[in-house]
Amino acid sequence: MKMSKLSLFVLLTIGAYLVLKIVVPIIGRFLHPGTWPLIPTSLLKMYMLFIIVTILLYLTSKEEDAKALIAPIKATLTDPSKRMLRNIIFAVIPLLAAYITYSNVAPSYDAPVELRSIHPAPPSSVNAYNKSYNLLTLKNPLRDDAANYAKYVKEGGEVYFKNCFYCHGDKLDGKGHFYQGFNPQPLPFMGTDTIAQLSESFVFWRVATGGPGLPKEGAPWLSAMPIWEHFISEEEIWKVSMFIYDYSGNKPRTF
Amino acid sequence: MNIKKLFKMHYLLAVILLIATVSISEAAKGDKEAGKKVYEKKCAWCHGWAGAGDGAAADFLNPRPRDFTSGIYKYKTSNIDNPFPYEEDIYKMIANGMTGTSMPFWKDVLSDKDIWNLVAYVKSLAGLEGEPAAKVNYGKQVSSSAESIKKGKELFIDRCSECHGDEGKGDAMKKLKDDWVGNRIWPRNLTKPWLFRAGSDPKDIYTRISTGISGTPMPSFDDPASKKKLTEEEKWHVVNYVTSIKNEARRLKDGDTVVKAKRLTGELPKDVNDEKWKDVESTAYPLVGQIIAKERFFTPSVEDITVKAVYNDKDIAFLLEWDDRTNSIPGDAKAQELADGEFYEDAVSIQLPVTIPEEMEKPYFGMGDGSHPVNVWHWKSGTAKDPQSVNVMDATGFKNIKKRDKVNITAKGSYNKGTWKVMMTRPLKTDNKDDMQFEEGRFTPIAFATWDGTNGEKGSKHTITTWYWILLKPPTGSKVVFIPLLVAGIVLGAELLIARSVKKK
Repeated sequence: MKMSKLSLFVLLTIGAYLVLKIVVPIIGRFLHPGTWPLIPTSLLKMYMLFIIVTILLYLTSKEEDAKALIAPIKATLTDPSKRMLRNIIFAVIPLLAAYITYSNVAPSYDAPVELRSIHPAPPSSVNAYNKSYNLLTLKNPLRDDAANYAKYVKEGGEVYFKNCFYCHGDKLDGKGHFYQGFNPQPLPFMGTDTIAQLSESFVFWRVATGGPGLPKEGAPWLSAMPIWEHFISEEEIWKVSMFIYDYSGNKPRTF
Repeated sequence: MNIKKLFKMHYLLAVILLIATVSISEAAKGDKEAGKKVYEKKCAWCHGWAGAGDGAAADFLNPRPRDFTSGIYKYKTSNIDNPFPYEEDIYKMIANGMTGTSMPFWKDVLSDKDIWNLVAYVKSLAGLEGEPAAKVNYGKQVSSSAESIKKGKELFIDRCSECHGDEGKGDAMKKLKDDWVGNRIWPRNLTKPWLFRAGSDPKDIYTRISTGISGTPMPSFDDPASKKKLTEEEKWHVVNYVTSIKNEARRLKDGDTVVKAKRLTGELPKDVNDEKWKDVESTAYPLVGQIIAKERFFTPSVEDITVKAVYNDKDIAFLLEWDDRTNSIPGDAKAQELADGEFYEDAVSIQLPVTIPEEMEKPYFGMGDGSHPVNVWHWKSGTAKDPQSVNVMDATGFKNIKKRDKVNITAKGSYNKGTWKVMMTRPLKTDNKDDMQFEEGRFTPIAFATWDGTNGEKGSKHTITTWYWILLKPPTGSKVVFIPLLVAGIVLGAELLIARSVKKK
């Protein structure tokens, strides 16, 4: 039996919705274990609108297809034998519309959604330690001293476990014992999707100037990252950077 | 070689292998040399390179990381005659972590084998060998009932309240120290079981009562020499009482970030204990050390704060509640007894932006910034000489805080059995341009901070929260009913029009 165009439309729409609502979070969970990343409702609505329009375009691309799609609707509206069904549909649709409207106008306590840029573009130069750094050319000077690599990593570890682990975690997973108290939550360093994507000069900038050093799209008023140039030396920043890359098995991006 | 012989050889080999495996697993489940390698990568940072609990992080932690050279383990399931834990007890501490401390659970990054190897290594640090001879005897579990809870409560008041407080909030009347280097320690707040270190199942609690907590003043209630000994049945009654006193209101709820201010038609509550507060919804927020600006603070004692708010035509009132083991009254002899040297007043504050942000841009969450000032309402608990006080501060950053001469808020706090309740009231609108003006229906950022004076918290040393929200929810008017009805009517009309036009064709 060939499926009617209308059922196909309904099935495709439901299928697309389920993919966005369930499959996407499953993929997200696979990439970031322990999370369940949902698509924000406003975005979901927009995606669904485009998907429905696309499906309709596809199903009505030919004149007879368009007719076939509308035929069952027309039949429901005119066929005397379908009177009962017609009356039910006529009652249900306005009620549904009223319900959707109600849930939109009823005041709720849901906090406003705030979108911030997690990796804002770095400026070309930054000021810290009463100096100006060109972020395009800035390199970790300690990496040239390969003979002392292990020593620097260990010293970086000491810096990390005196300053960073409260938030970024004993496991460098962004879940230190204070992590719950902050929003945005601290960056995890494990895995290949955070510091592995950053050049070391970017890391230096984020550490030295902290949350308040973020550009506006990074919501500097929210980040709890302290301005580390007030607390630790330039050399200590380079050492701790070597430690987090070494511990997590990542390498700074160099291109 | 014929086939039969080959089978026999295999059979023999399998038996030898089986025997070998069994004897190895009986000797020790892990390999301490392999454990040492894992230890130096993951554990030494806190527990120290030689396991003495003196790693880089040690001074910034409360509780401090365990010293493995002592061989004392707080949490074990071996009975009172066996001072050392089972290997499985140590395994669980590593795998599941110690809730409410900085010791994370490791089972997500370490393999089973890694953890058993670690167990072998940390045991070797104190020269521990073999396994204990006997487990705690659990007897027959008494299921929870009103009667059992009542019996448990009587036993609790008699045996436990001396340290854990009348209501179990750990508001001790004694100064307690541990056996390692005499660190100051505090009795557990039993109303927050989700922070219990080694599990909060009835069986876990039963184990704690039975074994005590080694290295701390928490005794074993199995000790036959003690007058306080409890029978198995009595211990289950105490367990049932302890599980009955948990305070769900203090528990953080994921994603619940809004103070839900309720509109009242009449007068606002008179004080913290007013009946009117009873049916107002509360929201709990996590508190963490102020680790952003100098002088930073790493070892807070207060974990969370619960907030309620109500308002009427004129005023808004907040009720702030948090568990604090001490009522810190400088100059008071009893409070002095509990403190270590100099101590300060307890305090709490609310932070609000002066201007409600139109877009997402807010003041810097730590005391605002140059272009975004904040108001801070700061209540202090008073000293033996001075009464409670409240101040309003205008701030544009950590270094730029001005105390006002005139205060237009009122605040009154009350301490009872391990809990502070403080109520602050202010007019919704004021004529001061430096004040935030409350508006119904607008999401407004709000943040909180507390100070536990006995824990050495003063000035910049205190707990903080990030920005959350407060919403003065307007009364739901007729609009909410009218608009959906109108929409339903329009849709029905459209349907009828379509039906008619289709029929005509």
